[in-house]
Amino acid sequence: MVDIQLNATINGRNVSRAAKPHLRLLDFLRDDLNLTGNKEGCGAGECGTCSVFVDGVLMKSCLMPVAKAQGAQVDTIESLAKSGEMSVLQKAFHKAGASQCGYCIPGMVMAATAALRANPFADREEIKERLGGNICRCTGYQKIFDAVELARDVQNGRVPATALLETDTADGDVIGKNVRRIDAPSKVSGRLKYAGDMIMPGMLHVQVLRSPHPHARIVSIDTTAALAMEGVESVITSADVPGQDGFGVFVHDQPIMARDKVRYVGEAIAAVAAEDALTAKRAVAAIKIVYEPLPPVFDPDEAMQPGAAIVHDYAPDNITKHIPIRVGDVEAGFAQSDLVIEESYSTQAIEHAYLEPEAGLAYVDHDDVVTVVSPSQNITHHRHMLARIIAKPISKVRFIMSPVGGGFGGKEDMIYQGMLALLAMKTMRPVRLVYTREESIISTAKRHPSRTTLRMGVMKDGRIRALAMRMVCDGGAYGLSTEGVMRKAAILAAGPYAIPNVRIDTYGIYTNNTPSGAFRSFGALQTQFATESQLDIIAERLGMDPFELRRINAMRDGATTHTKQKIGSVSLMRALEATEQASGWEAGAPTVRGPTRGDLNHDDVRPSVTLGTRFTDSANQEAAE
Amino acid sequence: MLICDEYLTPTSLADAFAAMTMHRGRYRVVAGCTDTLPWAREGRAGDVEIPVLIDVSKIPELNERHVGDTRVRLGAATAIQRFLDDAALGRAMPSMPRCAVWFADDQIRAQATLGGNVANASPAADATPCLEAHDAVVELASASGKRSMPLREFITGPGKTQLADGELITGFECDAFPGYGGSFEKVGHRRSLVISVVCLAVMVKLDRDGRTIDDTRLAIAGIRPVPRRLREIEDLLRGKPLTGELLEEAADMPLDLVQSRSRQEYRRDVVRGFLVRGLIAAAKRAGASPDALTRELEAAYG
Ligand SMILES: Cc1cc2nc3c(=O)[nH]c(=O)nc-3n(C[C@H](O)[C@H](O)[C@H](O)COP(=O)(O)OP(=O)(O)OC[C@H]3O[C@@H](n4cnc5c(N)ncnc54)[C@H](O)[C@@H]3O)c2cc1C
Ligand code: FES
Ligand code: FES
Repeated sequence: MVDIQLNATINGRNVSRAAKPHLRLLDFLRDDLNLTGNKEGCGAGECGTCSVFVDGVLMKSCLMPVAKAQGAQVDTIESLAKSGEMSVLQKAFHKAGASQCGYCIPGMVMAATAALRANPFADREEIKERLGGNICRCTGYQKIFDAVELARDVQNGRVPATALLETDTADGDVIGKNVRRIDAPSKVSGRLKYAGDMIMPGMLHVQVLRSPHPHARIVSIDTTAALAMEGVESVITSADVPGQDGFGVFVHDQPIMARDKVRYVGEAIAAVAAEDALTAKRAVAAIKIVYEPLPPVFDPDEAMQPGAAIVHDYAPDNITKHIPIRVGDVEAGFAQSDLVIEESYSTQAIEHAYLEPEAGLAYVDHDDVVTVVSPSQNITHHRHMLARIIAKPISKVRFIMSPVGGGFGGKEDMIYQGMLALLAMKTMRPVRLVYTREESIISTAKRHPSRTTLRMGVMKDGRIRALAMRMVCDGGAYGLSTEGVMRKAAILAAGPYAIPNVRIDTYGIYTNNTPSGAFRSFGALQTQFATESQLDIIAERLGMDPFELRRINAMRDGATTHTKQKIGSVSLMRALEATEQASGWEAGAPTVRGPTRGDLNHDDVRPSVTLGTRFTDSANQEAAE
Repeated sequence: MLICDEYLTPTSLADAFAAMTMHRGRYRVVAGCTDTLPWAREGRAGDVEIPVLIDVSKIPELNERHVGDTRVRLGAATAIQRFLDDAALGRAMPSMPRCAVWFADDQIRAQATLGGNVANASPAADATPCLEAHDAVVELASASGKRSMPLREFITGPGKTQLADGELITGFECDAFPGYGGSFEKVGHRRSLVISVVCLAVMVKLDRDGRTIDDTRLAIAGIRPVPRRLREIEDLLRGKPLTGELLEEAADMPLDLVQSRSRQEYRRDVVRGFLVRGLIAAAKRAGASPDALTRELEAAYG
């Protein structure tokens, strides 16, 4: 390799250094200069966590070979808060609460800085357009736009600078008040270290070999060539696991690396620790595996049929979990009903897409405590599972939760922490693994795809007499949170409605798809989507106002739920009222007045975004017209 | 991951050709790198090892820009963002600023080049219908000489061009259309950072009263292997009074434009709507008389 002798001004300082020719500017900043404020959320130009100024122009540093920065002036997020004093925009982000997990925030602050430089008077629409290259998965953007507008007004003298500091709280009086987050300064300044930002002396880099097959027997694994490579410290497979292998939130059916067979595309089979990530990657490519493909099963309904491929021997029917609920006599309820409606619904797999891809660091400390630092949403459970897997007493296993750059349920599973612990034990050196976005998408849990048939019987006056639901979910190759998701889905399936006769069955099924797991709402979404949609269909059929239909059936204070839970107070009536008002709902059946309804287009309805606002109210007008 | 042993940044055409000759068969040309880096990732080309990368974006000839009254010449390394910040260029190529604002985002546009967009020859390359509407000519050069050809001959299919081994795109030359109103219609899965499912470039010139169409240019992409000029529609519109009925008649011409394999019905509906909406927007920017187009028409296609 021919190194590049890079001369550049970085955050105001002259830098003259040799850099590997294949590095991107982002790698150079983060790995060579340890400027980790800017992040790598995707590595493909899509997310904006890597945005930096190059000669004053905002660029995505993941799309820029480092050689392009030759002679340039580069400014990262670290340049904005010189000596700890935050910029106006950073203060505005703090004030407006525009940071949640914080992973997108350094890039957002950079993009906002660029937007207000390009047009100090940009209105909200133009701000949206100029921030279009940056993604946030937490805030829903409104607070970010509020922050940029606040900073704009302070910079333009329209509001006093004290507005950046005001809070509505008096000492100690915080409940129901707008409070500034105490962790926001660390996020808006880029100083907060996520797992992928952390380094330790002597640290090795980990890469993982993943299955190209959905279902195959592993005939042999040959790691000799990989182990022989210079710079490779260790290669592990399931054969290296000292204890009782297996993790999962409910059933411990998943080995930390595939054992005997692979069950989905992307499943980890082996892991390499090497002096640098490129060497580890090359070593992964040198591992030879012989597979014997097995017939796969991808459809959960097919997986339930006799003769279907079996994913786990312990579950020959491929059922991970079936949750039944029975209340009253549904058939009698349907017989009494004036109207019986049956519909089917389906929902798809969804990726959490937290902006921080999985990352972790592990080491064995001076007292032989195996320590794993990772953005795990479930460290105590992970600690107990890992102790069993690596055959150590619990006192010799420690989990440290690093800042979670978005989780939404997707970081509840111990997908990679086991491999890290094992490599740290093997090498007695710190080891770090940072997923790429592609790896994160291919190998980690998704929201359960579902198919639901729902039958409901109602009287002409709107009272629901009976509800029968059957939902089949694709749980994918391993159990993860499926059992809990099926339970919650079943418990909440009939909604907050007093229905005398209920029959609910939810099934989580093993297939050779990517495993499904926890995801915000934990199963409620799939069943409620069916139930609430069906209520709207019924309202239409009965010619009844959908709010009214829900009020007629609402559980009231002191109700007993379908799973026999007594509830003291039910807030549904208040929630309905608030929704009705906020939406400007026009009373009546959903079908009345069609497109001329008043609630379709009023001030509180957000119009769709179109691009090009800058042409009408910015300095670029001339170029356009 | 894109791995190379050497990254060269020649600062003259001669140096570039020397490097290309020396590393023949072992190099790849890059400009903005916004197509190349994402391409070398898992799920596409995966990890790619290319011995030598030759970055042509710093070559002065590839960064030239001449905007005349009748002709425009643009170096291949012209960044897409220039169509937004160079007012004279925006006037000469009036659909290009509209295209640029939909192109990736503010940051990627600062790096993405016109030459890279054309060389990549994606059916969804947004600059290509605009260039086609301007009758663009592609200028090519190699160590042994220069040649040029119309864009519509240069792009031969998805990802396929007439670029020969050892050859570079040096620039583009095309007609200037000052005084025309321009528009660009694009739809994809979301608003920012999106690959076109359909994109349409439109330019319209009206008579002084803003009532008659003097001239118009249209080209479409995203729905066929290569961009297509819509001459049939141009011929129908030229010289006619600007009315809503005429625009709808144009949109209803049976041209069978959609050749994509997926979502044909959807794309056909979009094309029809885009034609009317694009023509309305371009006509308004060309100074259409306020009573030529009815409010109902605008609302229907807004
Ligand atoms: C997040 C994202 C969003 C995007 N959005 C859009 C979009 O909205 N619309 C759109 O059309 N594109 C989009 N793109 C694609 C890309 O940005 C454009 O195609 C861009 O114009 C490519 O130019 P480049 O200079 O960056 O290409 P490079 O990656 O440098 O090169 C691309 C190809 O062109 C060749 N090449 C480049 N210059 C020359 C030359 N002078 N002579 C010969 N060959 C050459 C290279 O060898 C390479 O094969 C997007 C890309 C990303 C990552
Ligand atoms: S855009 Fe660069 S990391 Fe996502
Ligand atoms: S705060 Fe934006 S992604 Fe979490």
